[in-house]
Amino acid sequence: MKRQTAALATTLLLLLGAPAASAKPWWMRGVDSNETDFLPPDVAFRVAARVEGDLIRIRWVIADGYYLYRQKIEVRPESPDLQVQAPQLPKGLMKTDPYLGTQEIYTQQVEVTVPYTRFDYGAHPIQIKVTYQGCAEAGLCYPPITKVVFPAAAITPAAASTASHPWEWMAIFAGVLAFLLAGLVLRKGRKLDIPA
Amino acid sequence: MNDRALRIAGAAVVVLVCIWAGARLYIMRVPEPGGIAVPAGRAGAPDPSDAVRPGSENTDPAWPHPKVPARLPDFSLSDLAGQPTPIMRWSGKSLVINFWATWCAPCRREIPLLESLALEWAGRDITVVGIAVDYRDKVVDFAREFKIDYPLLIGEQDALEVAAKFGMDSPAFPFTVFTDRRGEVVALIVGELHRPQADLILSVVQNLNRNLLQLPEAKRAIADGLAAIPTNRAG
Repeated sequence: MKRQTAALATTLLLLLGAPAASAKPWWMRGVDSNETDFLPPDVAFRVAARVEGDLIRIRWVIADGYYLYRQKIEVRPESPDLQVQAPQLPKGLMKTDPYLGTQEIYTQQVEVTVPYTRFDYGAHPIQIKVTYQGCAEAGLCYPPITKVVFPAAAITPAAASTASHPWEWMAIFAGVLAFLLAGLVLRKGRKLDIPA
Repeated sequence: MNDRALRIAGAAVVVLVCIWAGARLYIMRVPEPGGIAVPAGRAGAPDPSDAVRPGSENTDPAWPHPKVPARLPDFSLSDLAGQPTPIMRWSGKSLVINFWATWCAPCRREIPLLESLALEWAGRDITVVGIAVDYRDKVVDFAREFKIDYPLLIGEQDALEVAAKFGMDSPAFPFTVFTDRRGEVVALIVGELHRPQADLILSVVQNLNRNLLQLPEAKRAIADGLAAIPTNRAG
């Protein structure tokens, strides 16, 4: 009852004496203020990647007051004939939440390296699919975000791995075998006319 | 089959094998069309997927900006027992509808507050309803572990569609919707709800229900009241 009375008094005071309503939308505090804004996920967590030799480097720039969960970062190949190894994740900060336990997080920025191998001699632009998830310290969590990322750097000859795809050898072998067979078939029944 | 036919057949096989080998080599060297296949994310944990190309990011500084409906939209989701439950089951009551997920730390932190609100306001026609956008088994286990007493509805894609009905097309969690007993949407709070916010909004809702306020005044009172509450939302 006491709480209700206080709340009613607060409401009446606000109605009678408060300054004119702010420009903020009525339904959300601070959405247009710098104080308590929540950023769109693409601003809170900016991701970009580049290729360096046989590594893909993926960097997240994380806005102040936001963090990414280390264990939620995943990298998968997206372009054909690309293999990626497990991402090498640097050590993060330990964050303990009484309701979620201790989690390893990244703030400010983090760079993850991913060794890769190509089987296409650079035919396809490298595309990777990255998944990550983070929250705002102010009390908002974004669902896992999955993006297809095109690493920025041009492919150097070293980066275009010399590894060959098993299908390629099979195709070359089949072609050679086919010509051999053709020779044998066409030769069959014919006598060699070797001049004396 | 004479010898000539055999030779023709053999040559045909050779030609076909050569065509196959050539085609295979060609396919391996020609890039595929540049379309970006973005698979659906894990159900219950929506993936606002996009390709990272210059200009493709959502950099809208006023995000999120849901188009909040004037009235409580009609929808139905399964409850903890799996029974379809229309939100209109609580027609005539004011609702505190909290969207959450088990993987979300601030959502978990809110639960004790929501439980106490449910108890405190139960006798005054204000009902707390949780909508978990998550996997059913996780929510059931979580609800059992945390002994959540207020009604819970659960959904994956269907719950995302419900979130979209409140204007949260690309939702982040938690967010909480307050309605009066007539089903008017009075407030939508994005982010972790705190006691001073909840007390303020519910007191205004109660005054609305008693016809002590009109809806525009109520919304103004909430906006101004929230602005007067010190920011203390450290996570």
